[in-house]
Amino acid sequence: MEQIKRGLRLFAEFFKIGCFTFGGGWAIVAQMEQEYVNKQKLITKDELLEMVAVGRSAPGIMITNISLLFGYHVAGPFGGICTVLGISCPAMIILSIVAVFYNQLKDNYWFAAVLRGIRCAVVPIIATACLSLGKQALQTRFAIGVFAVAVMLALFTGISNIMLVLTGVAAALVYHFSRRKTQEET
Amino acid sequence: MIYIQLFLSFLKIGFTSFGGLSMVPLILDEMTSHGWMSSQDLTNLVAIAEMTPGPLGINCATFTGIQTAGFAGSIAAVLGVLTPAFTLTMLIAAFFEKFKESSVMRTVMTFVKPICIAIILKVIITLSKENYFTEKGIDPFGIAIAALMFYLLLKRKWTVPKVILCSAALGALFYGVLPFMGIRL
Repeated sequence: MEQIKRGLRLFAEFFKIGCFTFGGGWAIVAQMEQEYVNKQKLITKDELLEMVAVGRSAPGIMITNISLLFGYHVAGPFGGICTVLGISCPAMIILSIVAVFYNQLKDNYWFAAVLRGIRCAVVPIIATACLSLGKQALQTRFAIGVFAVAVMLALFTGISNIMLVLTGVAAALVYHFSRRKTQEET
Repeated sequence: MIYIQLFLSFLKIGFTSFGGLSMVPLILDEMTSHGWMSSQDLTNLVAIAEMTPGPLGINCATFTGIQTAGFAGSIAAVLGVLTPAFTLTMLIAAFFEKFKESSVMRTVMTFVKPICIAIILKVIITLSKENYFTEKGIDPFGIAIAALMFYLLLKRKWTVPKVILCSAALGALFYGVLPFMGIRL
């Protein structure tokens, strides 16, 4: 009973966070720090950072992974489900409304002009994010090598993006476990 | 069944994406291969998702679901994209102390991150072809907006919603007001 109550409170709190955080994952992490590290003192800053590190490296949406780890930590599996649904619901409601308007306005002369302008900004937005990701991820020769091979495969073969990522995961697992084996033997 | 197809598509996207925009190339693949959305719609969607609160992945799944199969479709898509959290991350949460120490995920990330950058590059090329060229050739207004936004993002550190509002205003001017007044390049 206690856990269910706590879970529902988490749902409400994450719903609120989900409503007001623009600018993706990091803004949400900052809100969580304010609320749960500084105010409610449910977790320490180090614990939150650990959750962020793990949540980032698991597949899926970073912020729902972090929310799940936090909810689980505070109120068990039910708490995890509550935080994930809480952070997702506002986005679902808002985007549902937007989708309805989008369909009605799509062919309007002025709206189409505005959208065409916005579309021109999407490549710079993605490219800027890609640049900062690259600065952080391409620091070793090894990473640059993987990147070079991946670019070749992506641009010059018909391999799908999903296959490319899965190949990378498989290669990483082979690399990891073969290296550990040789370390054990020596 | 369209709902199952949507669920499975976003399940695939969820399990193979690692953070934020790395989802865009995967969504583009799934949407165009099923014929659910054009790459123009997807570009609009990315802009909308960046301007509204909430995680990009949820925003994209909701919008796509609604466009292809109504409200129930959006629930199927969101459940698909949340499945990694409810399964794998749930498992990780249960063994959090052990998992923290393990280096497997770190190795996976050193492989996967560069690959994510590669597929994002590819999507940048696809979208550039789409957005800066018309049937008549290069669109000089489009290039001008892109160059300005690049400058504002990189050098002036503008936030994304501000950049989108600014390019919306320029779009209204270049593609709305000017043709409306009969001025053409």
